[in-house]
Amino acid sequence: MLERRYNILTGEWVIVSAFTQQRPTNPTAECPLCVGGAEFSEPYDLCSFDNRFPSLRIDAPEVISDDELYAKERAQGKCEVVVYTIEHESAMSLMPVHQIEKLIKMWADRYLELSTLPFVKYVFIFENRGAQVGATLPHPHGQLYAFPFIPKRIEAKLTAQARYFDEHGNCALCDVVKREIRNGERIVYENESFIALVPFYARWPYEVHVYPKRHVSSIVELNNEERHLLSKTLKVVTMKYDLLFQQAFPYMMMLFQAPVNDIRYWHAFHFHIEFNPVKRDKDKIKWMASVETGTWAFINPKIPEEAARELRAVEVLK
Amino acid sequence: MSTFFANINELNEFDVFKRAGYRIVEGGEILVRVERIHLGYLFRTFVKGVIQDVVLFEFQRPAEIFVNNWQSWGPARVVGKDFPFSFPIELRKKFGYSASIMPEVYFDNLISDYFMGSDKFLIGALSSRIGHPYLLIDPETVKVKLNLFGRHFADWTEVEKFVVLKGEIDWLLPYYADLVAKENGVELKAKNFVGWSSWYQYFLDFDYQKMMADLDKSKCLGYQVFQIDDGWERDIGDWEPNEKFPALTRIASDIRSYGYVPGIWLAPFSVSETSSISKNHSDWLVKDENGNPKVAYQNWNKNIYALDTTNPEAKEWLRTLFLNLKDAGFGYFKIDFLFAGAIQGKRHDNCTPVEAYIQGLKIIREAVGDSFVLGCGAPLWPSIGFVDGMRIGADTAPFWDPNGPDIGYPNAYYALRNVFTRWFMNGVLWWNDPDCLLLRCEDTQLNDSQRQLYAFTSLLLDNILVQSDNLSYKIDHDLWKRIMTIRSYGKRMVNLKGLMDGQYEITSAGVDGVHKLLVKDLKIPTFRIELDEERVKLVKKIEKRSDGRTFNYYEEREKLE
Repeated sequence: MLERRYNILTGEWVIVSAFTQQRPTNPTAECPLCVGGAEFSEPYDLCSFDNRFPSLRIDAPEVISDDELYAKERAQGKCEVVVYTIEHESAMSLMPVHQIEKLIKMWADRYLELSTLPFVKYVFIFENRGAQVGATLPHPHGQLYAFPFIPKRIEAKLTAQARYFDEHGNCALCDVVKREIRNGERIVYENESFIALVPFYARWPYEVHVYPKRHVSSIVELNNEERHLLSKTLKVVTMKYDLLFQQAFPYMMMLFQAPVNDIRYWHAFHFHIEFNPVKRDKDKIKWMASVETGTWAFINPKIPEEAARELRAVEVLK
Repeated sequence: MSTFFANINELNEFDVFKRAGYRIVEGGEILVRVERIHLGYLFRTFVKGVIQDVVLFEFQRPAEIFVNNWQSWGPARVVGKDFPFSFPIELRKKFGYSASIMPEVYFDNLISDYFMGSDKFLIGALSSRIGHPYLLIDPETVKVKLNLFGRHFADWTEVEKFVVLKGEIDWLLPYYADLVAKENGVELKAKNFVGWSSWYQYFLDFDYQKMMADLDKSKCLGYQVFQIDDGWERDIGDWEPNEKFPALTRIASDIRSYGYVPGIWLAPFSVSETSSISKNHSDWLVKDENGNPKVAYQNWNKNIYALDTTNPEAKEWLRTLFLNLKDAGFGYFKIDFLFAGAIQGKRHDNCTPVEAYIQGLKIIREAVGDSFVLGCGAPLWPSIGFVDGMRIGADTAPFWDPNGPDIGYPNAYYALRNVFTRWFMNGVLWWNDPDCLLLRCEDTQLNDSQRQLYAFTSLLLDNILVQSDNLSYKIDHDLWKRIMTIRSYGKRMVNLKGLMDGQYEITSAGVDGVHKLLVKDLKIPTFRIELDEERVKLVKKIEKRSDGRTFNYYEEREKLE
């Protein structure tokens, strides 16, 4: 079965996908993303390909429903595996900046290409790193989902930022960037075009956000120099993470871009990247438990300014 | 209820919500509801009875305003308070409804169809499905109006919605376009394309031999569509090949043999006084009050009548015409002079001209299925959702004349002006057709600079790109190659600043980076193109696997020095 169902109690869509049950968990045999594995027989540089176990498909089965209480729709969309490099033992923190720059270009191309599908409403690019956040393969890769609807948290971001724009006449994140540069207390890393910081409103202990200083709504709008500087920023943030506890730091990295096939938010929505790490100490995990899952209210045990100080203090070669 | 806003720039909720409520108008009743939306307010109007041309609300006129004409060729421009608006008397009969759906109002007044802007606000209708929304502008006030042409509404019916938006006009326009797209349920399935057209080289002097000669010369130019324009038909209304062309199936198969989608021009809602339809089916034509066929406009040295797209026999003829063209092998339809389908007059059905027009477009859309439909000479808002592409300016020409009349006459300068001012419609409502690129270096008065600006503007705004040249001439191939290289990167995200002062700044973002075009003075023209140099060049290779999955490989072409 593959379909999406509407939750009339919360106004959110749930994707029911029986395929994903078949997904392997840390296969012990050969890596499917290495040459000679299940997916590649020839050497490659970077690749984004259709997930073998997709939750959304272009050719999703038709769904017929006229039930107002239990509405359902086709799970039409796309799920891709985004492979960063052929190097199995690498990671964003270990990759050359140049390779990350290529990755950013690939992300831009995927975002633009998927936006040509009229039923796609949101392209969500992300990476789960480490078994603690559900990554099933250690080979450096991320994923993307091309959704046929605006997911709930994205909707919340759009609504909040549009409301701020209505009330203040300018973009909320542009104002945040100005304040953080002036304040400096939460900044972890800064270059000419980006700041990486532990946000005032961090939900996770070592949460880091990456904000472009200039207002852009997507990665596509970054010029080539800015893409290079974003590569450096991602490299520095992930290196700091790994050096913080001297271990491969598990995180969820998520790109928040404006919806596609909808330009109503270009002026109000500011592209940004969130790193949501689950570690609250070297050997302690902050779990997404009842309060966080049930209410969407987070209790952060780490003072963001302290986390920023610790991360800022981690020296990396820039 | 009061309908006058003293200062539209400083709207507050109290001012706005006072305008909601119930009103009795001549022949019927109106109910207006106002809702708060992001960046402004939504005005919803419900009507009952026989409704003519009603004022919804009015406001004090700002000095500089951005006004728009109802159809493809008409000007979209910024005018000041001293703008002397009066349409040339000697041209009124020739232009007829080409100039306006309401020539009786348009020829002596300044009106803006569908929307109007100023530097800090925008007012616009979200659709034109029943009535014609417009703004009547005098030196002191602007009246927001909806013409329902005396249609009878037996029950309360919601008609066109309006929005009042506050902000910078340069980002209000794309926001507004998206609201319009959502209101009309637009889903852009077709891709914008690159092609060739016969018109701006050969005009009516076109024949099969010329078509074949240009097909032969077209290899490796990257066209996807090859379109024959006006000149192939027996008469306007008699859509059969004349003596200069073989059968349509032959034309289409010849074009397809070169790997292109065959394209064809026609004016499906226009019927010349000499055509067989005029002679044999005068009951298919829109009539005046005396029951005589109404002249929609004059062209080809003839009176042109309008097809009644609500007449059952005419509808069947229209459907068959397009089914046959599709069967003959054509996959791209440039449908021109469409405004003829929306002229006022007596029809089989008692409906508004807008509703009649939509009936006609719907028949064409259904007949051609997924083929690309390009609207031209078309009422803009009623066409939304039915066309894949839309001409958004006057005809271009092999000359550049900033001093010519700004009334929709062929002129590369005014054609390109509209490409800038209507940029925000592209990729949202349809793919903008900026009109053809004339890249020949002979048989033209266009200079290198004008050619380059036209080509780069169309490219960076991510518009349709169609060349119209005799390919045996000396062509600026270097320019075409540069254009096609950037085009090969695919879709772009575009922004334009400077609409009100005419110093346009295009920002065009794509996989290859963010390119800019800055126009200092369009008249001369003086401009600067800033191309964003790639640091990393990736080559993309797509592999389709036997299990149905797609693999997109990205590989570096050359390492950064």
